[in-house]
Amino acid sequence: MISITQQRDKCIGCNYCVEVAPNRWRMSKKDGRSTLLDAKERRGFWHIKVPDHEWDANEAAAKLCPVKIIQVKQL
Amino acid sequence: MSALPIELMSPAGSFESMMAAIQGGANSVYFGVEQLNMRARSSINFSISDLPEIAALCERYHVRSYLTLNTIIYDHDVRMVKSLLTAAKAAGITAVIAADQAVIAMARQLQMEVHISTQVNITNLETVRFYSLFADVMVLSRELSIRQIKDICEGIQREQIKGPSGKLVEIEVFAHGALCMAVSGKCYLSLHTQNSSANRGACLQNCRRKYKVVDMEEGHELEIDNEYIMSPKDLCTIPFIDQLLDAGVRVLKIEGRGKGAEYVKTVTQYYREAIDAYNAQTLTPEKINNWMLAMEKVYNRGFWGGYMFGQHLGEWTNTSGSTATQRKIYLGKGNNYYAKSNIAEFKIESYPLQVGDTVMVIGKQIGVVETTITSLHVNDTGEATIANKGDLCAFPLNVPIHKSDKLYKIVAAEEMA
Repeated sequence: MISITQQRDKCIGCNYCVEVAPNRWRMSKKDGRSTLLDAKERRGFWHIKVPDHEWDANEAAAKLCPVKIIQVKQL
Repeated sequence: MSALPIELMSPAGSFESMMAAIQGGANSVYFGVEQLNMRARSSINFSISDLPEIAALCERYHVRSYLTLNTIIYDHDVRMVKSLLTAAKAAGITAVIAADQAVIAMARQLQMEVHISTQVNITNLETVRFYSLFADVMVLSRELSIRQIKDICEGIQREQIKGPSGKLVEIEVFAHGALCMAVSGKCYLSLHTQNSSANRGACLQNCRRKYKVVDMEEGHELEIDNEYIMSPKDLCTIPFIDQLLDAGVRVLKIEGRGKGAEYVKTVTQYYREAIDAYNAQTLTPEKINNWMLAMEKVYNRGFWGGYMFGQHLGEWTNTSGSTATQRKIYLGKGNNYYAKSNIAEFKIESYPLQVGDTVMVIGKQIGVVETTITSLHVNDTGEATIANKGDLCAFPLNVPIHKSDKLYKIVAAEEMA
């Protein structure tokens, strides 16, 4: 398993995470920020645990994020 | 000599800076809300819920308020743009500074006043004519010379180019602050090296670093005259402000939403004095020299006149960051204010405060207030000459402070080197 965390309120809506990991991220049309799909929020941080095969795409998203608000960890 | 009033527009990256701009004598302030502005990376952006407070504050001080909404806009941003514009309109924000056609169109649909952003890079009269269908105020590209600015202003008069309000279009220029190595912000350096787009407000300022030129054939490395070859000095137009205003410019804009409140107050204050002196025909070289020296105390990369006189090459900085002659050091935060005796009490959290020190209090309501410590009481034990970390200290101050206010000591930059 891997964990993905996003500090969503700092997102500037650049869309890169959606480009490289479209199954896990979507741009919200409501506020223009990216949404970590199926994640739960706690104190401004959105978390989800996902299977290992999602590592490459989400690691790329974390590296590409210009404001460094995405963190991926191997559990 | 200009017959119409000149508007001085100051940056407000926070409530502290907004108050500082008002104290300095700004006629208008511009600010970003949420992520769709050119300082999106800044952690001190306002949120949509701050709009009523911003509008109320500006109304109280008779200052015009401009919402900056000038990044490039994607489809997924459109609803957010609409929400921001609707909230701004409802709150009573004066106008929106826009670049993307979607923002311009939506603002006009809401019958909001539109100003055209520097991101549009207006460099000729025909573009002014085009945008006059939507906007009453337009900022010109920072790369124009005074001669070119004058031609555009005269063209507006001559051809009676009017905005939606029915009045002649007003021309705004950047008068002071950071210049960009690229054409007014249209830079991809940060995007290409670190995936962080300046055009989405996330510039990482690669240009402000030092670079070497490497001979790829033999590996020789060259530093170019020890200069930061992509980092221009800051624009300062005070030495020739009369020429700029004579050209027909109506609005002078100060850059710096990412800079401190003391920068905003100082720069606003001296441009205010310069504009007033221009109107009163009392500008003198001595005054200009004094204003320049005073502005060197706050954040700057060294000053030059930008592209106003058509230079071929820019002037580049020779250091990293600011060359301000003064720095502020955080000492502590507000604790209490004794209104009857005009005494302010602060909790010291870092460095000591001594009698004779010059200090600055910065806060949301107080803005920026500077004073010199003439007497000091520490921990209710009577008069003292020094307050150290952990101490509660009190000194006379004519303005009420709040718990959220911060106390800074002002020191000469060379003392910190």
